[in-house]
Amino acid sequence: MIGTITLNPAIDVILEVSNLKINHYNKVLNAHTTSGGKGINVSKAIRGYGRETIAVGFLGGGRGRMIEEELRGLGITTNFWHIEEKTRSNTIISDKKAGEHTLLSEPGPKITEYDLEMLKSIFYRVMSQCSAVTLSGSLPRGVPVNIYGDLISIAKERGVKTILDTSGEQFIKGLEKRPFLAKPDLRENNRVFGIKIDKERDAIKAAKEVVQRGAEIGVVSLEQKKDIIATRDEIWFAETDYHEIVNLIGAGDALIAGFAIALTEEGKNLEEAIKFSMACALASALREEEEFSSREEVEKCLQCVNVKRL
Amino acid sequence: MKIKNIMIRDVTSVLATCKLVDLIGILSRHKITGLPVVNNNQEVVGFISLHDIIRATLPNYLGIINSDSILSEFIQLSKSLKEYSQRPVEEFMRKNIVTIDEDNNEVLAADLLIRNEIQRLPVLRNGKLVGIVTLTDICRVLMNNNENNN
Repeated sequence: MIGTITLNPAIDVILEVSNLKINHYNKVLNAHTTSGGKGINVSKAIRGYGRETIAVGFLGGGRGRMIEEELRGLGITTNFWHIEEKTRSNTIISDKKAGEHTLLSEPGPKITEYDLEMLKSIFYRVMSQCSAVTLSGSLPRGVPVNIYGDLISIAKERGVKTILDTSGEQFIKGLEKRPFLAKPDLRENNRVFGIKIDKERDAIKAAKEVVQRGAEIGVVSLEQKKDIIATRDEIWFAETDYHEIVNLIGAGDALIAGFAIALTEEGKNLEEAIKFSMACALASALREEEEFSSREEVEKCLQCVNVKRL
Repeated sequence: MKIKNIMIRDVTSVLATCKLVDLIGILSRHKITGLPVVNNNQEVVGFISLHDIIRATLPNYLGIINSDSILSEFIQLSKSLKEYSQRPVEEFMRKNIVTIDEDNNEVLAADLLIRNEIQRLPVLRNGKLVGIVTLTDICRVLMNNNENNN
């Protein structure tokens, strides 16, 4: 079983309109809601591929129960700690005529010390069932930046492989506890350790530093369709040769899901793991719908991935 | 049909050392009335429900629930609950409980639930908790099967 942790999940409410006018009455053409949060997306991608996964984190109120229902319906096992405040919601207004998307993001709920203590207790128990765990995403209010480091220590104590995918101070602090694989989330400012990731050499430098700071494998994405993967002795370059990408939302989470699956399958070497993870990301990027790709879709994408050792 | 295709994939549970006051908080937020008690390896060591707590704090309460003396007993119950709030779950939980493996089928699950007069059955994989199955889940599956057969 592969565990995922989502400390700041959300309900995404997607409203489709045509020609949104501010200060006017606007008719919604189509509305739907879905659960969001990087860890939850990783669980969805793992389950889409057919592997068992368990989602852990904080949820609250009716929105929290809605997320749990949705995940269980997809075949994902849940073990969330329910907090006092309600789970946040993101409203995405998709203007079909203008081709514009407007995101209204609520602040996350407040997490107490008691909540954190309970979450760590759940995490410790769940790790007895897992071979790998992914730790992804932002932190809600009240959660210290060393939380991922603490969780990595717990997982390692229980012999579980850890994959860290976050940004900022919590990424730096998490690296200190030496996760198995780490990938900085560059969506906000395309920068890590003060390095701006514009060119291949920047990505190589950053991936090497991820390894130097404690991870066994460092992954840095470049221009969305390429990745640099570093270990202590090797540098790998991976890219897809498919050009009809339709949806990049969730592709990074599918990449992480791919690494979690591949690194827990016996007999897969690093080159195969990289190829498989890129195929998971590509399969996700080729889907217009938000559902995650099936095993067949991922396997089809394997032939569109090129991996070479630099 | 295999239990793994019917069960509720949730492993919300508590440790035997969990205080009653914390347990009530969990039940209330999850809107459930009972859950499995596990050890640190997710092995089920018991089951605790609101009925178990009421039965332990006030043994007569469930018997007189429809009688006139309920009010005075209720005051006693609230006093007992306050007194017991810091006590651990292990003092109140049912031990040696019935469980089922996720690869067993709905017929065995229904038999175990009815024969043991219980509402929920913890589901295990390799001896560890992976879900819960209830009579409602089984009835839902059986009704859908019948509808499909018709």
